[in-house]
Amino acid sequence: MDVSTPLIKNVLLLDSEGKRVAVKYYSDDWPKLADKLAYEKSVFTKTQRSIARSEAEIGMFDGYIVVYKFISDLHFYVTGGEDENELIVATVLQGFFDAVGLLLRNNVDKKSVLENLDLVLLCLDEIIDGGIILETDANVIAGRVSMRGADADVPLSEQTLAQALATAKEHFARSLLK
Amino acid sequence: MTLVQPPLKKDDDVEDDSEYSPFYGIERSAVLQEARVFNDRELDARRCTQVITKVLYFINQGVSFTQKEVTDVFFATTKLFQSNDIGLRRMVYLIIKEISPSNDEVIIVTSSLMKDMNSKTNLYRANAIRVLCRITDGGLLGQIELHLKQAVVDKSPVVSSAALVSGIHLLQSYPEIVKGWSNEVYEAVHSKASLVQFHRLSLLHQIRRNDRLALSKLVSGLTKGGVQSPLAKCLLIRYTTQIAQFHPLAVASCNVDLESFISDQNRSAATLAITTLLKTGNESSVERLMRQITNFVSDIGDEFKIMVVDAIRSLCLKFPQKCRSLMNFLSSI
Repeated sequence: MDVSTPLIKNVLLLDSEGKRVAVKYYSDDWPKLADKLAYEKSVFTKTQRSIARSEAEIGMFDGYIVVYKFISDLHFYVTGGEDENELIVATVLQGFFDAVGLLLRNNVDKKSVLENLDLVLLCLDEIIDGGIILETDANVIAGRVSMRGADADVPLSEQTLAQALATAKEHFARSLLK
Repeated sequence: MTLVQPPLKKDDDVEDDSEYSPFYGIERSAVLQEARVFNDRELDARRCTQVITKVLYFINQGVSFTQKEVTDVFFATTKLFQSNDIGLRRMVYLIIKEISPSNDEVIIVTSSLMKDMNSKTNLYRANAIRVLCRITDGGLLGQIELHLKQAVVDKSPVVSSAALVSGIHLLQSYPEIVKGWSNEVYEAVHSKASLVQFHRLSLLHQIRRNDRLALSKLVSGLTKGGVQSPLAKCLLIRYTTQIAQFHPLAVASCNVDLESFISDQNRSAATLAITTLLKTGNESSVERLMRQITNFVSDIGDEFKIMVVDAIRSLCLKFPQKCRSLMNFLSSI
């Protein structure tokens, strides 16, 4: 039995045609770009018909465990090795999914993700480091991405009113400049 | 990540059929030109952030850059440490990790990163640690080791986790150095943060991987109390199963604690606890175990039921005298 640290192999955010919106690979299993694209196509095609909207679904494809969830025109996938604990992989997906929801103020679709790609990439960076899970709590993740105040261990939902107003101002300013 | 590939055409257009995409019609060469604003005296943080995002978008889409282009972007990025804008600094960390600078290039950002590693802002410290450990070599590691050890026992969970996780990665290339952190990693037990517990346990296990006695002690010491983190519990159960294979007596005392995990709210921990107990249980505990998991089994999905039945089958073979009660149990599922 493999007793290594639980590892995530990749996180994929694809659009409704299976094209990349944001992806991150943490494993050498797909060394070339062609391998990665082939995997993305495979996973997308095999999950196309499912309705993983209100709840995440899980599948086993090509010897990997894939947990996925769809919203609007986006498909979220998290991949683990075939011996990985499915619930751990699912927790990572949920954390990513919910954190993106928090950061985009529940306006989660391809357009808003692309318009806020920096936040989404930072979000991924706060969840997984080189395949090792860093954090799974969406509030904590979103808080670290927003980086409000010196003590950035305060989750978004616990910020003081002043801090929350500052966050709102920042978001408003960003949307004006687009 | 290899970015050194001679492109077939000079200017790669990114195909994006959505007109509403902010990256529609964008050209790689244009973005590289834009990166010149990093050299401005008065840095426009928002603009620089947008440019970095565009470069990252290209990398994400699999567009390749030449080695020279990568180097140019990296050098330009180093200027951005002059800005105090928080959002921009985060993007700088991100792109440095993405570009993976060579040893010669790393030197340019080392002092800035070391400064951030001692910053009052926890997120700067945590991220600087992660970037430094990603790009470090043996020499640099020697310089920052003391800071890393201090970070491991830092009160801030984000800092502690950053150091611990970096330690797990560094163990591959610099095992002797990271093993020297054992004391600090042990001390980090005081942290109640869920993920810190998980990272700490993971690192301790990796450090002691070849020492069976130390592993046994590690597990039995921890099951006595204080592991709240669901992820840490999963690890504990994995390690217990591993140890049970070569040192079953050591984990006999753990079994009692493992039984308390059956009722854990976290399904992951509960399922693992059940299957481990079924594999390592002794004859006298079988009946008690069957009673405890009767309720549990009705809750879990079919795939997990299969795992449970499989484990019960091996129990039947191991303890033939208990066969009858096990069969009764199976017929009730």
